[in-house]
Amino acid sequence: MITLQLVLNALALGMAYALVALGFVLALNAAGAINFAHGDLVVLGGAAAVVLAAWTGLPGILLLPLVALALGLAGVLAAHVAILPLARRPAEATFVATLALAAMIEQGLTVTLGAAPRTAPALAGSGAMEIAGVAVGRQPLAIIGVGGVLVAAVWFLLERTQVGRRMRAVAADRQMARAVGIPVRIYVTLSLALAGALAGVAGFLLGHQFLITPTQGAGHMLKAYIAVALGGWGSVPGALLGALAIGVFETFVSAQVGDAWASAALYVAVILVLAVRPSGLFGEPVGRRA
Amino acid sequence: MRRWLWRLVLVAVPIVGIVALPPLGHRLLTLVGIYALLGLGYQLVFGQLRALNLAQGALFGIGAYAAALSAPYVGGQAFLVSIFAGMVVAALAAAPILRLQSHYFALATLALASLVNLLAVHAEGLTGGANGLVGFTPGLPQGPILLGLVWFLLVPSILVYAAVFRGRMGEEARLLREAPLEAATLGIDGGLWRFLAFVAGGAYAGLAGGFSAALSGVVSPEVTGFPVMLLCLTSVVVGGVRHPLGAVLGAAVAVCLPELFRGLQASWLLAYAAATLVVVLWAPDGLAGLFDRSRPRLPPAMPERIAPVPGPQRLVLDRVSKRFGGVDALVDVSFALDRGEIVGLIGPNGSGKTTLLNAISGLEPADSGTILLDVRPIERLPPHAIARAGIGRTFQAPSEGEPREAGLARVLATEAVFLLLDEPAAGMTDREREALVRLLGRLRDAGRGIVLVDHDVALMTRVCDRLVCLDGGTVIAEGSPEAVRADPRVRASFLGLPANAA
Repeated sequence: MITLQLVLNALALGMAYALVALGFVLALNAAGAINFAHGDLVVLGGAAAVVLAAWTGLPGILLLPLVALALGLAGVLAAHVAILPLARRPAEATFVATLALAAMIEQGLTVTLGAAPRTAPALAGSGAMEIAGVAVGRQPLAIIGVGGVLVAAVWFLLERTQVGRRMRAVAADRQMARAVGIPVRIYVTLSLALAGALAGVAGFLLGHQFLITPTQGAGHMLKAYIAVALGGWGSVPGALLGALAIGVFETFVSAQVGDAWASAALYVAVILVLAVRPSGLFGEPVGRRA
Repeated sequence: MRRWLWRLVLVAVPIVGIVALPPLGHRLLTLVGIYALLGLGYQLVFGQLRALNLAQGALFGIGAYAAALSAPYVGGQAFLVSIFAGMVVAALAAAPILRLQSHYFALATLALASLVNLLAVHAEGLTGGANGLVGFTPGLPQGPILLGLVWFLLVPSILVYAAVFRGRMGEEARLLREAPLEAATLGIDGGLWRFLAFVAGGAYAGLAGGFSAALSGVVSPEVTGFPVMLLCLTSVVVGGVRHPLGAVLGAAVAVCLPELFRGLQASWLLAYAAATLVVVLWAPDGLAGLFDRSRPRLPPAMPERIAPVPGPQRLVLDRVSKRFGGVDALVDVSFALDRGEIVGLIGPNGSGKTTLLNAISGLEPADSGTILLDVRPIERLPPHAIARAGIGRTFQAPSEGEPREAGLARVLATEAVFLLLDEPAAGMTDREREALVRLLGRLRDAGRGIVLVDHDVALMTRVCDRLVCLDGGTVIAEGSPEAVRADPRVRASFLGLPANAA
């Protein structure tokens, strides 16, 4: 049965995935290559929330900027370790470097926090609240609220500010951006910082309902990857829509047949879509030149 | 390093290992061989063709399950079942995913791998679920025999790999990797290459998986998991992605590192990932590249003498059109080219010259119109088939670090009858230009037909038998160089001269 709670859960999951995918596509466009460590930055965000909560005892809503800041720094580090040094090499070098970085984060978390699942603090209290006589979970509402605000903020940054315009210029054509005097490295770093912060927030938000284990990174990355591939490679709105669709699909299908078969259906769908439309559901915003 | 030396070492390793090592050493050496087989298969796809296949680990897992399921019935032949399983899954998956571009290919293979992993966990009737399969080893070779078998297959595989990629196949793979469009126009069938490499890679992954099942005695969903894929990828990168010894060196490091860092417990993986990152950043050719620097490639040589070639007599374009979105790139372009003739294609920037060459060579197939070699229509053929039918072409820029004539030399080596040359004189010195003019003359005399694109109208007038002038995708003038240069429309649109002046 489709209840209000189920709809809300679907939207919340989709919104959390959208934050992951938004960071993924920002990093992708800035680096010109996939950041395989992006999913592990999500996990790192959840872990950071757990650790910071234990240290500071702050409530969830105040932890949020701290987690974003910490993961923003992690994004800067990722840019300087695995992305900027390889800018002149084939994209596969970045693939492998970020995969290695992902493994380092995963193993680092396993060694320091252990493999046992952790729970991130709730953002605005756990449990349910009553709206118009219907009980709805607080965390899903908080996720939708925070996610909506962040997506709007990123949209404003990219579309309405000079910094955002420059970030888009670097993403669209690195050579040309350099030619008109934009310090490309700084804007690539900035994009990765933003991507990291978004990943961290997403990890924090997901980590209350879905627990945090070091091995989850690949799954998060895969979903963002799917969202971006289906939504049109490099398209920011496409990635958001793709992520929302995956969240809704997973919630409703797994309510029917369970998590495992919902994931299986998703992977089969991806392979089928790519088989029929080799450039994603909506095509690439930029065509290839012979 | 001398070739015979490393061959000797390769053959000696398993023999010395069997004789001199304790059982634990046997086990480790077997494991090195297994990962090396997995990595060798991966080198075909990732190293040679630069395709980021993320399903190699899953194919390894499929091989392991195939061996575990079939061993009770067929004994040692279970390894053949493993090979077969890896190949079949790779071949079935190939149809939808092999034509995908890099990041979509990586995604599709990742989705395939995740699917295999899910099935291993949840198809309990077949796979035993999370507990996996046990008790299948009695019919399978063990200990030193397994070690011997693994290395008996590995060593010849490495030698064959080295021999195959040293010569012409290595050069084809390099072109597919670095200049796929040029590769296609040289008649190299990239699709077939990718298919064979992917299926052969699957065979090696399956075999390695089967051996690993025999070695460990347990097959559980972990063998299909992403860590196996990561181990395969990182070990090949650490060892050297294309070097014949890369897979075995990487496997040796991957197996020995955890033994060395036993005290660190789980953090050896952390050290291994960090080592991989260091190698990617500072030693892109891996460990093998440290002691065996790849020799600088000799640029392809121009043929000494240009012999006549058999093949079609005439290339005919009839009303060829091409649109990009709302832009008419080519509109009803028609002309013919005979053997022994040089036709110059002139026109302002963006007038469709390169698009026309792309349409003829099949890189950007025409929307309408026909292109005939004698009577054979070729406009629907893929680029490599058009190249094999007798049309060669060069591109404006050679691949990085190559002399300017390299592309032309490669195209001449294909013995194409008709040559489409896109600005071959760009950036040449006067002396090089004169050499090119002489070469074009010799090609004409040897019965080649040439379409030449260049901006140097003086050179074109001197070399070409006819000129065709394009403007906005339309042929605005065609004829002898003098006639075309005198044409008022050509003077206005291309030469920038007043249309009526003499």
